Amino acid sequence: MLRVEGLHKSYGRVVALRGVDLEVSPGEIVSLLGPNGAGKSTLVSIVAGLRRPDAGTVFVGGVDALARPKAARSLIGLAPQDLGIYPIVTVRQNLTLFGELAGLRGRELRTRVQEVAEALLLDDLLDRLAGELSGGQKRRLHTAAALVHRPRLLLLDEATAGADVETRAQLVALVRELAGEGSAVLYSTHYLQEVETLGASVVLIDKGSVLARGAVAELVARHGGSVVELRFDGEAPVITRDRPGRQPERDGNLLRIPTAEPGPEIAAAITAIGAHAARLQSVEVVRANLETAYLAITGRRYEPGEEIERA
Amino acid sequence: MSPRACLAVFRHELRVLRRDPSTAVFVIVMPLVLAALMQRLFKGTLVAQGVTGATGAEFAVPGMAVSFAAFGIGYAGFAFFRDHGWGTWERLRASQASSLDILVGKVAPAVGLSLIQMVVLFLLAVPLFGLSVTGSWPALLVTVFALALCLNAFAVVLTAVARTSQQLTVFASVGGLVLATLGGAFVPVEAMPGWAQAGSPVLPTYWAMQGLLDVVIDGGGLLDVAGPVAALLGFTAVFAGLAAWRFRFDEPKVYWG
Ligand SMILES: Nc1ncnc2c1ncn2[C@@H]1O[C@H](COP(=O)(O)OP(=O)(O)OP(=O)(O)O)[C@@H](O)[C@H]1O
Ligand SMILES: [Mg+2]
Repeated sequence: MLRVEGLHKSYGRVVALRGVDLEVSPGEIVSLLGPNGAGKSTLVSIVAGLRRPDAGTVFVGGVDALARPKAARSLIGLAPQDLGIYPIVTVRQNLTLFGELAGLRGRELRTRVQEVAEALLLDDLLDRLAGELSGGQKRRLHTAAALVHRPRLLLLDEATAGADVETRAQLVALVRELAGEGSAVLYSTHYLQEVETLGASVVLIDKGSVLARGAVAELVARHGGSVVELRFDGEAPVITRDRPGRQPERDGNLLRIPTAEPGPEIAAAITAIGAHAARLQSVEVVRANLETAYLAITGRRYEPGEEIERA
Repeated sequence: MSPRACLAVFRHELRVLRRDPSTAVFVIVMPLVLAALMQRLFKGTLVAQGVTGATGAEFAVPGMAVSFAAFGIGYAGFAFFRDHGWGTWERLRASQASSLDILVGKVAPAVGLSLIQMVVLFLLAVPLFGLSVTGSWPALLVTVFALALCLNAFAVVLTAVARTSQQLTVFASVGGLVLATLGGAFVPVEAMPGWAQAGSPVLPTYWAMQGLLDVVIDGGGLLDVAGPVAALLGFTAVFAGLAAWRFRFDEPKVYWG
């Protein structure tokens, strides 16, 4: 449904994408992971036809999106990262506009508006002004507007940022349902747990390049060993380790030890830090999951606090 | 171009306009008030020019109609800037509406507003100010329509050039003022200094005033306004060309306020 090859994009001297390849099949959910500034939104906006790449190709449903953007756009539903709704008209009028723009009308339009509103818990708010909704409700409307016409390729750029647990669950369910009906979904997010629930394949990008890709289970198996983390009051000490495997990494007041056997590892580490034990604040075992895989690949711990919540 | 998408944008703009009718009310009520205030001023001049039975409305009404149409050139631009402020611009661009659909859908309500504002003023001036249109109403309508098109095409050029809503406000108010005054809609061209009289015909408002005064005072018909209307359409074509050349749909614009 979506095939992207060799995508390059610079903004003046800032290189946002350096040769990205990506494929999303019908019914597949691909989640785009990566730290702030990795190039996720740039990639999404090029696919949606909002920006032109410096090099590379984009095919949407077999249509060359760079040569025939209009034909490609008819297959796409986009919810950009930044909130985009009309605050001075009602929720219904917002959804109706985007439905009409996608070519829906009459009874079908009304049914779709009702359906998407129900799916995103907006049905009681349909006749309220969009500007009077709460932050999370606005966010739901924002996403709903991309879904009214049930697009074949759905582009969600951090759709769940700023949404509460229930909304997120609802949205994830809806995305799965759409994928179940054959839509392809490209989904950028900072919530790793969501990716695990979505059963998505992952494309991990950083600094404009794809660092890893594959199913969640695959990535975890390949990269995601458990990690023991020791947190100190002040700088973490340097220790050397005689057990086989990778050496510990220091990151400020954090000492990170990749390991397959957390128990014996902790015992060994406590001995190794000696007198520094007095400064030890916490010991944590991070089990193999997408988070440790992310850490192993990017060399950075995934920090949910790092994400900017926009609502 | 897809008529359906264009119509969707158009209808949506009307909904937005309905939610915030203050601009519409302002451009309809203000020229009525000003025409009432200024009417007497022009009576003497018109009588001196040999317009028998002049009430002053013969100049004040076309003058205020044209002036307020000119003051309204910011309106079309804000239809674009609003979307930048609301984050909906990129969504529109990602939709199935083409650039032209979006442009026409957004500018058409502004053209309609200019048109209604001018026509309402002329219609109400008949009972309110004793205005008598000696020429043909269809000729008056055609002139007013050509002016509405022309000014809004100019508005699109201003929007294309402005990067922030602040700039648009400045361009539109200076532009509106120049168009109204130097075009001879506030002060009759004959009463302006020589240099201004010489420069006046480069402005579309000058031609609109010529056409309207001809219809109101000199009994002008469709043939008589053909010249001014052709001039207005010529300006429209030039502005449309400039807009097509300069308007960048992918330029991020900044909306303040
Ligand atoms: N309009 C722009 N002009 C200049 N530079 C830009 C522009 N948009 C993005 N960039 C730069 O391109 C790089 C990639 O940005 P992008 O928005 O694609 O990142 P992202 O992965 O979506 O980040 P985030 O998680 O914060 O949303 C960044 O270095 C950013 O500063
Ligand atoms: Mg982003």
